[in-house]
Amino acid sequence: MNQFNKIISLSFRDYSHEWRMSGCFVLALASVLAPMMILFGLKFGIVSSMITGLIENPSNREIRAVGSGRYEQTWFDEYAGRKDIAFIIPKTRSLAATIQLKSDKAGRIYSTELFATAANDPLLKDLETKPQGFYQVILSDTIANKLNIEQGDRIDGSLVRQFKGKRERVHIDLQVIDVAPAHVMSRNVAFVSLDLLLATESFKDGRAVAELNWSGNVNTEALRVYPSFRMYARSIGNVEKLVNELEQEGINVKANIAEIKTVQSIDQNLSIIFWIIACVGAVGFSFSLGASLWANVDRKRKELSILRLVGFQGGKIILFPVLQSMYTGLLGWLLAVLIYLVAEQTINQLLAPNLEIEQVICYLLPQHFFWALGLTMFVAATAAILGGIRASRIEPSDGLRDI
Amino acid sequence: MSVIYSLKNVVKSRVLDGAGFRLQVPSVEIKAQENVALVGHSGCGKSTLLDMLALALHPDAADEFNLSPQGDDTFNIDTLWKKKKQNVLAKIRKQHIGYVLQQGGLLPYLTVRENIELPRKLMNMPEDDSTHSIARVMGIHRQLDKLPGLLSAGERQRVAFTRAISHRPSILLADEPTASLDPITARKIMAVVMELVKGLKITMITASHDWAHVYKMDLRSLHQEAEVVENGNIYQSTFRD
Repeated sequence: MNQFNKIISLSFRDYSHEWRMSGCFVLALASVLAPMMILFGLKFGIVSSMITGLIENPSNREIRAVGSGRYEQTWFDEYAGRKDIAFIIPKTRSLAATIQLKSDKAGRIYSTELFATAANDPLLKDLETKPQGFYQVILSDTIANKLNIEQGDRIDGSLVRQFKGKRERVHIDLQVIDVAPAHVMSRNVAFVSLDLLLATESFKDGRAVAELNWSGNVNTEALRVYPSFRMYARSIGNVEKLVNELEQEGINVKANIAEIKTVQSIDQNLSIIFWIIACVGAVGFSFSLGASLWANVDRKRKELSILRLVGFQGGKIILFPVLQSMYTGLLGWLLAVLIYLVAEQTINQLLAPNLEIEQVICYLLPQHFFWALGLTMFVAATAAILGGIRASRIEPSDGLRDI
Repeated sequence: MSVIYSLKNVVKSRVLDGAGFRLQVPSVEIKAQENVALVGHSGCGKSTLLDMLALALHPDAADEFNLSPQGDDTFNIDTLWKKKKQNVLAKIRKQHIGYVLQQGGLLPYLTVRENIELPRKLMNMPEDDSTHSIARVMGIHRQLDKLPGLLSAGERQRVAFTRAISHRPSILLADEPTASLDPITARKIMAVVMELVKGLKITMITASHDWAHVYKMDLRSLHQEAEVVENGNIYQSTFRD
């Protein structure tokens, strides 16, 4: 134990006494490690978020029904419960899913499509609240601009029908709870609760909607049947299988299968390229660090011999170069982290104006830093142990005369 | 006086630059508190023999290689080497032997004081003023807090001697300790060392190529004889009284 403590303090004294040499080792290590960390930061930052964007892009995950069918609520429940489906919601006939919107701030009335939405809708994933009840609505950016309104404004929605030979119009006071980002939808679309969509269809079909005091025939149909649906797979990997299953059920659907294949192969190829660079980098890093630390053990042979001569045991002597390698590993890693952080900030700030909101170009998680430290320490210790074992095997007299 | 080193037919061979070299010690006994000089020109194997006596180099063969540092414990050094008992050898070295190298062999990153106290600390010896008093006798007590790099060659050798005896070994080995010093400094240092060694009852073995110097100090000397054997392939060096 005494020898152990002594070796720790001696190795540190030597390390700081030779600060120029130690500094060179640290710089050499950091200069290999820092670029690798920046490369990984880029891979983890911009490349990953680009790929994730492509993978998660709702339009690539959407499975669209072609033509109209007859789907009951039980069918929706069955599909909604599946793990490979992220979201599914009924659609009504497109003619019935239209509303006229009017705002005090715009001169015109705009005919707008109604989309039912609910929690977890991939199209509206960036929006916190979803329309509830009959009086809330989220507008697409396009229609919001035309109506010249913002979040929180109130607008008038109106529906027209021919009922018993007369033209009837009802109004509904809607609150715009949010506006969907421009990339979500380029058409005039109002996202509403399924309740409002169904009420609209009922009205147009001449049925009464008691909740909204809309008169008409009393609903006689026992079960509601929907002609279509809006469906999103959990990931692009699920799309093809879902399409096949639906077609086997006799449902004619379409999906962006060709684009999905392209995205998947880009993802795969980029990953391969990164791993090749990473492996070459890691091997090069290991060799350069290993070689310099190995050489250091050789350089220290004389002093190690003196330590053995004054009575340190061979096994403890190995610790001397190993500890010094650890110091180099730790300091080099610290320096590399510093360089990386400066580079990360610079890259992110320089390119910030070109970015979408909250996207970062260069980014690493805390655990990535610790992986880097682990790899560094492992390589450092291995190289030094190999060199150290060699040093401890030579007889104490070897190296004494080089003084 | 008890016998400290007892060597019979100890052989060590080396190949240097393609030429064979063989060191032989037919029969040598060194008694406690003796003051022995290994005399011979440089390259004759003095350092090799000294390294073997310091347990820092293993002999190729030995009929007998015993060390009895305290007079009663006897270690069979040859057997310890053969059994690869490096740690036992390190322990004996640490306790009983002090070694002075030609260039001092001081650790450059420790102060003079730390260099001197290193062997004591390794043996868990308490801190006392003996370091300072030996340093005073050796004339280096004003240099204790300096790094060796700031000392003159003579001062470094004084420090090396002080370190070698700081833990009170029974044996002091010195390999050409004064070779890099001017004759006046060398004589001064050796005179002080002789005094100390005598006072501390230490057995001292010095390698030297300086014959005149050795005779003047009136030491027992082991002389080296060289011959070329085996068709001129091997340079054989033999040490005897």
